[in-house]
Amino acid sequence: MADFFTSNSGVIVSMVLAAILGLSVYLPLMAGQLSLASPGFYALGGYTAAVLSTRVFPHEGGQIAFGYIVLEMLAAGVLSGILAIIVGIPALRLRGIYLALATIAFVEVLRVLSLNLTITGGAIGIFKIPQPFNSQHQLPYLLFAVPMLAIAMLFVARLERCRIGRAFTAIREDELAADAMGIQPTYHKVLAFTMGAILAGTVGAVSAHVLNTWNARQGTFDASIAFLAFVLIGGSRTFLGPVFGGLVLTMLPEVLRAVGNIGGLPKPVTTFLKDGRFIIFGLLLVIGTIFFPQGLITPELVGRLRGRTPPTPPAPTADPLPAAVR
Amino acid sequence: MTEFVQRFVNGLSIGSVYAIFALGYTLVFSILGIINFAHGAIFTCGAYFTYMLTGATFGANGIFAKTHLPIVLPLAVATIVGAILAGLLGVLIERLAFRPLRRRNSDRLLALVSSLGVATLLVNFIQYLVGAENYSYKTRLTGDLPIAVNLGSEASPIPIRTIQILIFAVAGVILIALTFLINFTKFGKALRAVAEDATTASLLGISTDRFIWLTFFLSGFLGGLAGTLVGSSVSIAGPYFGIAFGLKGLAVIVLGGLGDIPGAVVGGLVLGLAEAFVPADQSAFKDAVAFALLFIVLLIRPQGLLGRVQVQKV
Repeated sequence: MADFFTSNSGVIVSMVLAAILGLSVYLPLMAGQLSLASPGFYALGGYTAAVLSTRVFPHEGGQIAFGYIVLEMLAAGVLSGILAIIVGIPALRLRGIYLALATIAFVEVLRVLSLNLTITGGAIGIFKIPQPFNSQHQLPYLLFAVPMLAIAMLFVARLERCRIGRAFTAIREDELAADAMGIQPTYHKVLAFTMGAILAGTVGAVSAHVLNTWNARQGTFDASIAFLAFVLIGGSRTFLGPVFGGLVLTMLPEVLRAVGNIGGLPKPVTTFLKDGRFIIFGLLLVIGTIFFPQGLITPELVGRLRGRTPPTPPAPTADPLPAAVR
Repeated sequence: MTEFVQRFVNGLSIGSVYAIFALGYTLVFSILGIINFAHGAIFTCGAYFTYMLTGATFGANGIFAKTHLPIVLPLAVATIVGAILAGLLGVLIERLAFRPLRRRNSDRLLALVSSLGVATLLVNFIQYLVGAENYSYKTRLTGDLPIAVNLGSEASPIPIRTIQILIFAVAGVILIALTFLINFTKFGKALRAVAEDATTASLLGISTDRFIWLTFFLSGFLGGLAGTLVGSSVSIAGPYFGIAFGLKGLAVIVLGGLGDIPGAVVGGLVLGLAEAFVPADQSAFKDAVAFALLFIVLLIRPQGLLGRVQVQKV
């Protein structure tokens, strides 16, 4: 059993990190804003950690002190937050799909920059990122990942029940009505977007150490799709959805790969099982939006599992994001 | 001077491809108010269909490695058939990914997510079938014409690749034909009516569903054609090259104003020229030009270069 955990340590850590990344897409979605920027901030956070730990902070023999990583996470979060405000304000003044478009552009600009700047190591990227743990496997990283996930979940769970969270929901349901009620749409949308960005940036900082190397392939359009799938498949109406989606959809390719390795299957099937990750993600997104527009984990389901109905069951709208665009 | 003319012609040439590609986005947006992210994948498919129809062999990877179709079409014919196939693919995508959502009157952001799913599905499926290699067409689209023509004099030659001129010509013909179709035919009038207000149009006896699938066909045709044109000018750089092109196309339609048909053409040409005049020593940043422009437009003129401010009503 212990063997199983150590040999799959990389997957286990990425599952937990993916759950946090799912939350980072969920936050802007709470305010009805589809953001594809999380991979950009994730990449930025990773580069921040990689540059700081290889160039600025003292490290010896590939080892770095625990505390510096916390500093890097802080720096990555602050940088991501500032950038999110700069990107968010022009895109979020507008209603509709402009944020999705602007965030795609943002991810691409960051990718081109990181491919061409010297500080990011160009196409090769930054490697030999020092490690905080002296271990053969990556399980100790759970010391970062699990508390981060717990804090993020607690934060979002509380957020859903406080004034700001309710303002987000109001904007998601009807931006014009929310505006008329005295909720400032731009302020709240930028706030939601920035919180998501800070989360993604902080995860990036940890990921850079987990992966030991960081390059421009970390923040791509593919990653945008994967993160989006975490939320849309997992569930976009409760914070448990993206957590579930991140955990399961990160594990899924590994399970399929294992099935593909069993042998005895025809070659097209094994190839599909091993490399078909994004075919499956794409298919899940299409099927999911048509048949499970709220994702697999819905607030009703959570209520039923707890053995009670939610205090005021929200009007059963068919979509996770109604009236955001009209 | 030589360089200026070369850059200018190259800019117009790629810009006109951006324009016909972006028109595919715009047509769908003007009718349904959604952005079909799968348009970039259709672009890829168009280029691959053409490659396949010329009887060319696929590379060493993927399920269909080292196979080819038994038919061999000339490249010019294959281009048109490939674009028609891409158009049919567009119709299929509409049926499977958009219509079910429209029937339930779903939010438009969901349609966007669904089309993102289709895009991811398609390009990765191509990769699964034929691998991620670079492909080039065996023959040139320009046939036996010389590779380059001289636009200058004998003394100061200004060589321009024939393919660039051909692409500009093809795109120009398409643009003129579309303008005619949309502005001066009964079909175009009905299309504009559906775009203006689908409900009223259907009350007036226009079959909305038919126009929606015709629009998707037209959009797919334009996307597929753009794919072959870019493929024959450079090469087919793996299944993902359409995604990259598709993202630039988004910048074009924002530049021109979402759903604005003349705007898409202007936006395409502006982007083509802007990219062509990126200095050679900064060429690595060329791919960022489109997105920088997108940001600037969002900041200064979110309604697009030609667009008018729209007032949101409840």
